[in-house]
Amino acid sequence: MIELQNIRKVFNEGRPNEYIALHDLSLFIAAHQVTALTGPSGSGKTTLLSLLGCMARPTAGRIVLQGREITSLPERFLTDIRRKTFGFIFQQFNLLNGISVIENVMLPAYPLGEPFSTLKQKALGLLELFNLAHKAAAKVEWLSGGEAQRTAIARALVNHPEVIIADEPTAHLDTRLSREFMDIMRDFKAQGKTILIASHDPLVHESQVVDRVVRMRDGRIIDSGAI
Amino acid sequence: MIRSIEKQRNILDFTLSSLWRRWGKNLALVVVYTLVVFSLGSVMFFTQALKNEAAIILRGTPEIIVQKLVAGRHELIPVAYAQKISAIRGVEAVKDRLWGYYFDPVGQANYTLMVPEAIDLNDNEIVVGAGISRVRRVFRGNAMVLRTFDGRPVNLFVKGILSPESELLSSDLMLISATGFRRLFGVSQNDATDLTVKVLNKKEIPTIAAKIVDTLPDTRAITRDEILRTYDAVFDWRGGIMIAILAGAVLAFLIFAWDKAAGLSAEEKREIGILKAIGWETTDVLQMKFWEGMVVSLSSFFLGVILAYFHIFYASATLFEPVLKGWSTLYPDFRLTPFISGYQIAILFFFTVIPYTVATIIPAWRAATIDPDVVMRF
Repeated sequence: MIELQNIRKVFNEGRPNEYIALHDLSLFIAAHQVTALTGPSGSGKTTLLSLLGCMARPTAGRIVLQGREITSLPERFLTDIRRKTFGFIFQQFNLLNGISVIENVMLPAYPLGEPFSTLKQKALGLLELFNLAHKAAAKVEWLSGGEAQRTAIARALVNHPEVIIADEPTAHLDTRLSREFMDIMRDFKAQGKTILIASHDPLVHESQVVDRVVRMRDGRIIDSGAI
Repeated sequence: MIRSIEKQRNILDFTLSSLWRRWGKNLALVVVYTLVVFSLGSVMFFTQALKNEAAIILRGTPEIIVQKLVAGRHELIPVAYAQKISAIRGVEAVKDRLWGYYFDPVGQANYTLMVPEAIDLNDNEIVVGAGISRVRRVFRGNAMVLRTFDGRPVNLFVKGILSPESELLSSDLMLISATGFRRLFGVSQNDATDLTVKVLNKKEIPTIAAKIVDTLPDTRAITRDEILRTYDAVFDWRGGIMIAILAGAVLAFLIFAWDKAAGLSAEEKREIGILKAIGWETTDVLQMKFWEGMVVSLSSFFLGVILAYFHIFYASATLFEPVLKGWSTLYPDFRLTPFISGYQIAILFFFTVIPYTVATIIPAWRAATIDPDVVMRF
């Protein structure tokens, strides 16, 4: 589904604070599987996720998504791919404070120009799925950790993405909520979604749901895991 | 097409709830912005309304006024000059006028005294403007004591008060009979303050004015157009002074707007990062910033214009009176005829909304170009 060919990512290239985040890295991510990226802080997991999710471009190398080379695409096309193909769940959930739960869920779909009423129905359906319909009008800052996490997941799903990308999703969750998260991922997998999770939480990469664990260190893949 | 409209509606909807989240900050901006538009708008409306008012009033004034000059100063004109002017071809009628100024130590004000053509007054009667009536507390039937040129007191009875509608020009006006005027100022029967000339063919006004000066070299002929131009220049000048003062305020506002837009808080930057990460393009963020600017600037603009309109046309321009009107003691209490032109609104829009938009668009663009992956590192 996604293929990385000789990817290199350098930050602040040519400056005194130049930093090589990824070294000549190649990887193939298969569709409909759960892939976990693991490794210590600074190993390059987040950078790799941002490249896979079309949020950043590599300094060198090629990324092929569903047979299409996307590295050289202009920002507009890349954004279009990003919002239609990927749903993101961030470490801090990254919900917007001050607006309601339902507005947060609808946010990724606003630029697609769907009628507001349709969009609202869709968001409400997602909130019902995660038992959050009663909180639709509440402000996100009033939510508990678990509710905020489920809101973030609902937001990631609003554009019906094929791929879910989660960056350290359990970092701020207790064991019960972390397990709950992995249960939700299991359901997504059953629905045929491709899931990429960066985490150094054993509860994630040792989970039965995960098909493949890619181990990283210092910007390199040290074990690409079994497929 | 429909998708594009829906998209704009969705973005606008989000912009409105976004603005509401930071209502304190945005309210402060709207208040300052409204004040700037209100001040500039007030000056513009007021200057234009005064010019219009003057033009309407001057429509009824004589085509040419002839004054005698001595050493470059206005002097009393011999009434006999009227015959010489009447002899010029194209002149329809010549009339002598009596008018002057009287400083009243009691009211600490200067009055304008005129001998009216249409009102019949006997030697001891006067009609006064509303301003004089207020300052001296005189009403119909009361007596007012003035002193003649040689210091003798004269008792004058108020026959009436001039209607308040004409107060802008008649606040300090006192109408008096010709005999009363001559007695008060010691003007002989042979002299007048100036002469008014009516012309048959309006196109010949400049030619006749030139002929008058030719025939009577110690006079000057002032045409109605010249008076109008002078009024325009005076009001423009006063308006200009106010605009110059307000330019400082506008500049301060622009710096404030720039600072507000450029100094995007870490929270705002984070939010833009999140929007980009979840699928918003740079242009979507710019559109959101555009709507934000439009909501702030248009609401402030319309609010400012409406407030300025009420200030000028319903509250007698209370805040600008001293600078723009120029009366010292006898402030007229009046209402200007409401008048607004599209041109004025366009100018006001150009001087307030456009600079604000320019001042905020660059910082907004800088914020919108944040890389989406930045959000992964918060």
